[in-house]
Amino acid sequence: MSVPISQMWTVASYVLTQRFRGRKQYPLVLMLEPLFRCNLACAGCGKIQYPGQILRKNLTVEQCLKAVDECGAPIVSIPGGEPLMFPEIGRLVTELVARKKYIYLCTNAILLKEKLDAGVFTPSKYLSFSIHMDGLREEHDEAVCKDGVFDQAVEGIREALRRGYRVTTNTTLFDGANPERVRQFFDAMMDLGVEGMMVSPGYSYSKAPDQEHFLRKQRANDLFRQILSSPKRRWRFNQSPLFLQFLMGKRDYECTPWGNPTFNVFGWQRPCYLLQEGYAQSFEELIQGTRWERYGKRSGNEKCRDCMVHCGFEATAVQETFASWRGFRDTVVATVTGRV
Amino acid sequence: MEAEKTLEGWAPEPDAEMPLAQIVELAFDYRGNTTVVKRDGTELHGYVFNRDADAPVPHLEMFDAEGGGPYRVPYAEVRTIHFTGKDTAAGKSYAAWLARKQAEKVGRAAGPPPP
Repeated sequence: MSVPISQMWTVASYVLTQRFRGRKQYPLVLMLEPLFRCNLACAGCGKIQYPGQILRKNLTVEQCLKAVDECGAPIVSIPGGEPLMFPEIGRLVTELVARKKYIYLCTNAILLKEKLDAGVFTPSKYLSFSIHMDGLREEHDEAVCKDGVFDQAVEGIREALRRGYRVTTNTTLFDGANPERVRQFFDAMMDLGVEGMMVSPGYSYSKAPDQEHFLRKQRANDLFRQILSSPKRRWRFNQSPLFLQFLMGKRDYECTPWGNPTFNVFGWQRPCYLLQEGYAQSFEELIQGTRWERYGKRSGNEKCRDCMVHCGFEATAVQETFASWRGFRDTVVATVTGRV
Repeated sequence: MEAEKTLEGWAPEPDAEMPLAQIVELAFDYRGNTTVVKRDGTELHGYVFNRDADAPVPHLEMFDAEGGGPYRVPYAEVRTIHFTGKDTAAGKSYAAWLARKQAEKVGRAAGPPPP
């Protein structure tokens, strides 16, 4: 585990506060999508397939901050679209840092060096660039449907690290991933010097054009077991070790979709980051008005059957850490020993 | 490779087999602009991004083709919806990209074309 102590403390105190207050459904990470526009067109991504007038839309910084304040989550993830194409990304990050929100700016890094050179950002313990990296050069360029992006991302990572920024990677694994190549990829990211890595299986996103290459649950368990069963000491993950154990099939979790609520140009997305079954106008309406019992594995909803994606289950894993001594102990042991 | 199905160009009229609520649902799922044909004969072109059939006044929400809105239109005012805009999700499969990539590799291996 590589999450800084101050961030761990913030999350721990937030979760415990929610528990003491008796809140059952509370957000942990706000998924803030200020735009859908992107400079890539990855086949696995259904986020960018909109008509031009929708792709040209941006949230205002004020809309973003209102959502952040409404939601109250201690962590704000900024995906998209490509957030570095958001015209006011610098001001948005500055405002979020002022609110002491831990930010994961999820970028393909194509524009990262340019933005850093332009002085758009200032290093902060609250700001982490979370670089989309789906594998080594061949696998990554294939996943993003464009040659040369891996090398641009590596250049962006080096530049951000050189300037003192926190840098993590986020990796989505699809069916057919080679475990040995993934392990080599982890080594390569550690060699680059990133703070930690995040990994998740892809979801068979109903609106994504590629339905054949997403991982089904059993195959996902097998793949992650092969990758993670003998982790190298040097690998650092920027996510809950219990979630990694869940990916390996060692734990059985239910989805907590309210843990990672999503806000974008359409409003508060029901029920989660991946499914788009409608929009609420306020966070309160999202929490109170969503028929949560229709989602998750126990619901029998076939859209949720094989889902193991971090936005549904990482919050569950974090909750388990603070829900029992066993969960806490298992998290501490995995964190200290580096074994999952 | 099986051709991807799309509703692009479809102009349904509601009937017992395809009620309006179902057409709205399909428009909500559609990744392109549509034309909402209202009972008063006017039309609204744009992207349907939300709907609520269970609301006290069932309605859909959309941005127009210039990005204006959002506009809320009660189901009661809608006669039908035509799928007039390009389906932005159609024909962009990962499999198609892999096939193109493979074809490029084969082309490179075969060497440059004769002069």
